[in-house]
Order: sequence, then C-alpha cells, then structure tokens
Amino acid sequence: MEAEIKEKIVSMEKPHMEAPPDWQPVIMGILCNWCSYAGSDLTGTSRIQYPPNIRIIRVPCSSRVDPWFIIKSLQTIADGVLISGCHPGDCHYISGNYYARRRFLVTKKLLNFVGFHENRVQFSWVSAAEGAKFAKVVTKVTEDIRKLGPLHLYKKENS
Amino acid sequence: MDYTKQIQDIAGRLFSEGKIDIFIGYRNTGFDENQVPVLIHQYKDVDQLLFTDKSVFNLANYLKYEHTRNKRVGLIVKGCDSRALNLMLTESQVKRENLYIIGIACEGVVNETGEKAQNCVECMMPDAVVYDELLGSATGKREYQVNADIRELDEKTLTDRVEYFEEIFENCIRCNACRHSCPLCYCAKCCIDQETATLFHGANTTSSAFHALMTWSLHLAGRCVDCRNCEKACPIHLPLHLLHKLNEKVIYENFQEHLAGMTEGDRGAFYKYSLSDPDDFIL
Amino acid sequence: MKLTTYSTDQAGLQAFYEAIIRAHDTYGPVEKFGKFDFKKVNSLSECDPESPIPRTMSVKPLFFPKSAKVMKYTATSAGTELSDTAEDPLAGKRVILGVKHCDARGLQVLDAVYKWDYIDTDYEKRRENTILISPRCDQAATHCFCTSLDYDLETLDAVDVAVINGADRKIYLQARTEKGETFLKENATGLTSANGSAEAEMKKQYETFAASFRLKMNYQEINERMQGQFDSPTFEEVPSSCVSCNTCAFVCPTCHCFKISDEKIRDKGVRYKSYDSCNNVYFTLMAGGHNPRPVKYRRWRQRAMHKFVYYKERFGVNLCIGCGKCTTSCPVNISIFEVVTKVASSMQE
Repeated sequence: MEAEIKEKIVSMEKPHMEAPPDWQPVIMGILCNWCSYAGSDLTGTSRIQYPPNIRIIRVPCSSRVDPWFIIKSLQTIADGVLISGCHPGDCHYISGNYYARRRFLVTKKLLNFVGFHENRVQFSWVSAAEGAKFAKVVTKVTEDIRKLGPLHLYKKENS
Repeated sequence: MDYTKQIQDIAGRLFSEGKIDIFIGYRNTGFDENQVPVLIHQYKDVDQLLFTDKSVFNLANYLKYEHTRNKRVGLIVKGCDSRALNLMLTESQVKRENLYIIGIACEGVVNETGEKAQNCVECMMPDAVVYDELLGSATGKREYQVNADIRELDEKTLTDRVEYFEEIFENCIRCNACRHSCPLCYCAKCCIDQETATLFHGANTTSSAFHALMTWSLHLAGRCVDCRNCEKACPIHLPLHLLHKLNEKVIYENFQEHLAGMTEGDRGAFYKYSLSDPDDFIL
Repeated sequence: MKLTTYSTDQAGLQAFYEAIIRAHDTYGPVEKFGKFDFKKVNSLSECDPESPIPRTMSVKPLFFPKSAKVMKYTATSAGTELSDTAEDPLAGKRVILGVKHCDARGLQVLDAVYKWDYIDTDYEKRRENTILISPRCDQAATHCFCTSLDYDLETLDAVDVAVINGADRKIYLQARTEKGETFLKENATGLTSANGSAEAEMKKQYETFAASFRLKMNYQEINERMQGQFDSPTFEEVPSSCVSCNTCAFVCPTCHCFKISDEKIRDKGVRYKSYDSCNNVYFTLMAGGHNPRPVKYRRWRQRAMHKFVYYKERFGVNLCIGCGKCTTSCPVNISIFEVVTKVASSMQE
C-alpha cells in the first residue's frame, strides 16, 4: 500500500498558520425553517450522504439572520458559514428573502474587504423539495472551506 | 464660505421672536483656529456663533440627547448633516415642527492640515436637502466617485488587506467615540456598548473591537451619510470611513444607485428591495 | 542630593538609545495613523523618543493595559475550575524611551491608589521592573497646564533618567532615582561623567518651558473653591456639548476605573479587566435599574470633582496632571481646564 502523502493545509488569510494534522472544518449552517430546513430533512430521509462538518441552526426566515450571527460564528468556532433560505418568490413571509439578499451581499463584500476569503461565507437557496441540492451545496461549501484551511482571524480567546 | 453674520442674525431673530429654546452652532475654541459645537440658550450668547470652512462637526448629533429632546431647536446643517437629519426625521427621532433648520450650500470643510477634507472632495450632495432657510447658492447633485482609499485597497491582495485591517482593529481602544458622535447611532441602548451587549462580551480586545466595528458599520450600511464625525472623533485616528465607504459603494453599485437620506421618507437601502437585485453570489 | 550625571552629544545619545534597544526589552513612541503611541521597538528607527507632545496615549497602557486577562475558568460537571492566566507579558524587565514628564507623573499619581488598601501585584511588578527615560519638554502644547498644578516640576523625580538639552548642543543624562542610577551606571559606555554641571542648564530649560504655557491656574484657590461647588449650576451649562463617549478617560494617564467581563466559548472562558469611564451612562447603573448619574452634567461633575477635589482629599495628590490629552482627543474639544476654572469662578457670594 502506498503511503498517502498529504498536502499541508495552511490558513488562506494567514499563510504562516498551519492546520493540525487531524483538522476538520467546522461550518455553521443557518437554515430557514420553511424551505432549507425541510430540504435538509429531506436529504436525511432520502439517505443522501453529505459531510458531517456542518452545524445547523434553524431560524424562522433567512431575513432573521442578522449579519451579527455570521460575525459571531466566524469569531468563535466556525471556519465558514452557510446560510440558506427559500428561493426568491417562495418566502413564507412573502418578501423576507429579498431583504435578506441585500444584507447578504453587503455583509459578504465587507467581510471580504477586511480580509476574509469570499468563500468563507456562502449563501444558497434550497427549497423543501431539493434534498439532493442541499447535499450538493454542503459538499461544495465543505470542500471550499477545507481548501481555505482553518480561520485565524479575530478569533475570541478562551484559553 | 463664511456665513457668521447671517447665522448670528437668524439666531438672534429666532431668540427674540421666541421661536426656539436652544440654538446649536459653532464657536471658536478660544485658543486655536479650530471650532467646537456650542449649545446656546439665550439671546446674549448669540455673538459667539461662527460659520466658516472650519465648522466641521455634524450638529444633528446633538438632537439625540436628553437636553434637546422635545425642545424647540435651531441648528445649522451642511449637505451631509442635512441628509443625516433627514434620516432622523424619517426614523421619528425628531419632530420637524420642533426644528428651525438653517441649511448651507456647502463648499467643503477643511481637515486638520488645512486642505479640503476627503469626503468634501468626493461629496455628492453639498447642498442641504432639508431646511427652512438656505444660505449660499445651491449647486445641485454631483457625480458619484468611488473613494480613493477603497480603490487602492481593492487592488491589494487578500493577505495584505488582512495585515492592514488587523492593525486597525488592534489599535482600537473601544472608547466608542465613533458611535457616540454619529447622529444616526441614537439607540438608547446600543449593541456595541459593552454593558448592554447581549451577544458578545465587553473586553477591549482586538476580537471585540472587530466585532463592535463590523456590527456598527453594518448597522449603518445604507444609512451612513459620510459626514465622518466618527473618524474625526476617533482619538487613535483610525480610518473608519473605509468600512462605511465600502458599504456605500456596494449599495450604490448594486441597489439602484441608492444614497442615504436624500429624500424624506427614504429609510435606507435595507428597508426596501427590488426583484432585480444581484443573485449571482447565491448558490 | 548628588545626582549621577553624564554628558554627551546628539550622536552619543543616539548610540546610547541604540545600545539600550539592543540590550533590553524596549518600548518607545511609535507613529501609527499619524499619532504616537507606545509600542515595543526593535530598532531606533521605528520610534522617535523626541516626538513632541501632545501624543494620543500615555504610557499608562504599559502598566494598566486596555484589556488584561485576570483568570481562566473551565466548567466541568463537578463545578467550575479556576486557574491563573499565563505569565504577564508586561512584567519583565524593560525600558521605556521618550516618556514625557506628565506620563511619568501620571504613574506616580496612580501609585497612590494602586498601593492603597489592596496592592495590585501586576501593576507593582510592572512598575518595579521598568526604567523610564524622559527627554525634558521644551515647549508646552496648546492644552498643557502641568506647571499650574500642585507639584514642583523643576525637581520632579517621577522618571528614572532625565535627558536634558544643554547649551552648545550638549545633552545631559541624569539619574533621578536609585533604580535609574544603577541603570545609568551599567549603560554608561561612551558617556562622559559630568556630575553637578547639569543643574544650571536644567533650570534654564525649565524657565523657557514654563514661559511657553498659555494656560495657567492658581491650583490652591481652584481646589478650595471647587470643594463647595457640588451644586454649582455651571456644571449644567459648561459640558453641554459633551457627546458622552469614553475617550477622555481612556487616554487619560491617571484614569484607573475598570470593568470586569468574561469571554466564553462552550465550557471554557477568560475573565478580562478592561478600561471603563465615568462618562459612560452605564458606569453607575445598578442591578435593579437605578442610575444615580443618568444625565450628562452629573457625570461631568463627578469627573471634574474627582480630578480636582476627591483624590486630593483622600491621597494628598491631585488626580489631574494637566497633560491636556483629554482635551486634544475629545471629539468636541471640551477643555477640563475651562470647565474647572469656570466652575470655580462661578462661586456665589
């Protein structure tokens, strides 16, 4: 059996910081109750596999997501954030995701401007019927974050 | 740009007619060329008032304090200040009938070194948009320009930007002067005041400075009028305008050229939406 | 008292500084965003010990940091475990270059409160292990009024080594404390001994310095008059343009109020001690909702009275040292000098 040569993973933002050998990315998933959360449920009941790196929080609507949640996640345990809501026009509250979309764009650009790689924070529209899409999105985001390495920016210290 | 005489006359007239209780204007510090805000309560103090290109501070800020609430107030507003005032009116922070507004068709104020301030060079609306009386001749809306510092930083690599911003957040002492001198930060309990914070903690560390400044700038996104009170107030002279100007640029370019506070009744970019907003960044 | 003095010239002084930076953990005023702040330096080119006043921050953060870890804790099923934080990064032997006399004086004033009923060991250690090297001021800045306060600046021993500009471009280095004397003797390579010859030069320099002050007050009179001014209506008028930020207290070399806060992720956390300010609305907010100082003028009254009356009553020194940092950094340039003189002069017959 050939010895597996693993490439060393470094932090994208701080190339001198190296990831520990058994590092696994942690992704904070914030899902809307009506579409994406039901979609993720469908992924499970359809027995589609997706990476276990995501930690899911359920919110009433993607518009409930304060940019604060994203910043707070990135500063504590998360290496990346995925926010998912209903497709435009499908919002349970009629227009919540349209408002959210504006906020997401500004938040993403601002975080990128101060030094976070743009793939650290990602958004998706996943409906309740798109179990397969949810698995695909989570796989893609996990792989993106895995490439970026651990996040070492403005982390809160607890030791 | 010197309206000292006119402003003294107007303030004197308002006091003698009994139309106002307080007049908010500028006075000389008494020891150097700079000016400081002054709150005048009586007719006899009117001759302290001044207005030149050194009248920098955004006076709309004083409308949020307890001693001007529910009083009849006269104040001077430049272009940017009047946009902030417009937002305060829209957001029901002040009553229009309590105010007597002296609008200025501003020619730009100067910074510490005596040059025209950067936000005045790039100003899009030098004339007051809300006023009872306008001093100077209006020149109208100007063309939008992307901030020079933003353009420069955008060209840098990600790791360079990380270094640059880490220094900013590291030097922040969390005195909250930025939040307190912002006319649009009128919340009685602010989420970045450590004592009332519920979602984050109050230490003055780099991470908490990051959290506070980012949250603060996102709360002002689509509302910030670029008066730069925050930056002038900062004792460490951090380039706080970068965060606001980036938000302004993203909003202007993507959301139908939205500019904060241009008309009364416009609550800001995040209070409305369009079906054609960009969607390509969403998976 | 005989003071160890050495003389040198500009090049010799530079060499002296460079030798110190090579041999010791050195801090100096570093320019950041157009303002000077004390930072760790690795070569003389990074800092400017002669940089003029007013500087944004004093040396206070090197003794009382803006945020310091107090302890760590871990929540376990058996209860909470407490542990000490790692070694204090500021407690080692170090030298600070370019300290102004007001900064050093500020530390002397702070000693009174830190060595009062409870001795702050961290502060104590940092003070003991630090050598302060100070170039004397030649010129007062706009908001300075240190000469008016109740101490003799001319014979001040707040610094360890004073750097005095003499005639003919001569520079004198004078040890002002025992600690400074040992330090200076150890590092005197290349310097000429000049005991006793700096006194006249120092006096002359002090005289030109004292003459450059724009602000002057009669401290004894102000202090006496202020004592009866608690209810003065002037307090309501003067600081009405204050925006209630915390800048004045954070940049002040003698403000020492702090708050305690925790940062916790999952079951582990750190307790921090950070700056706080009496100009903050929440400073006096009590559990249950009562706030004795809900309005601006009451907070300002506390600040002015503490600086000019209460501290003097309790510890025998004035808390304000007249450096003018608060006025320079204030968003609306409220001058504590102006407030205090106005209040004192408004005394009713």
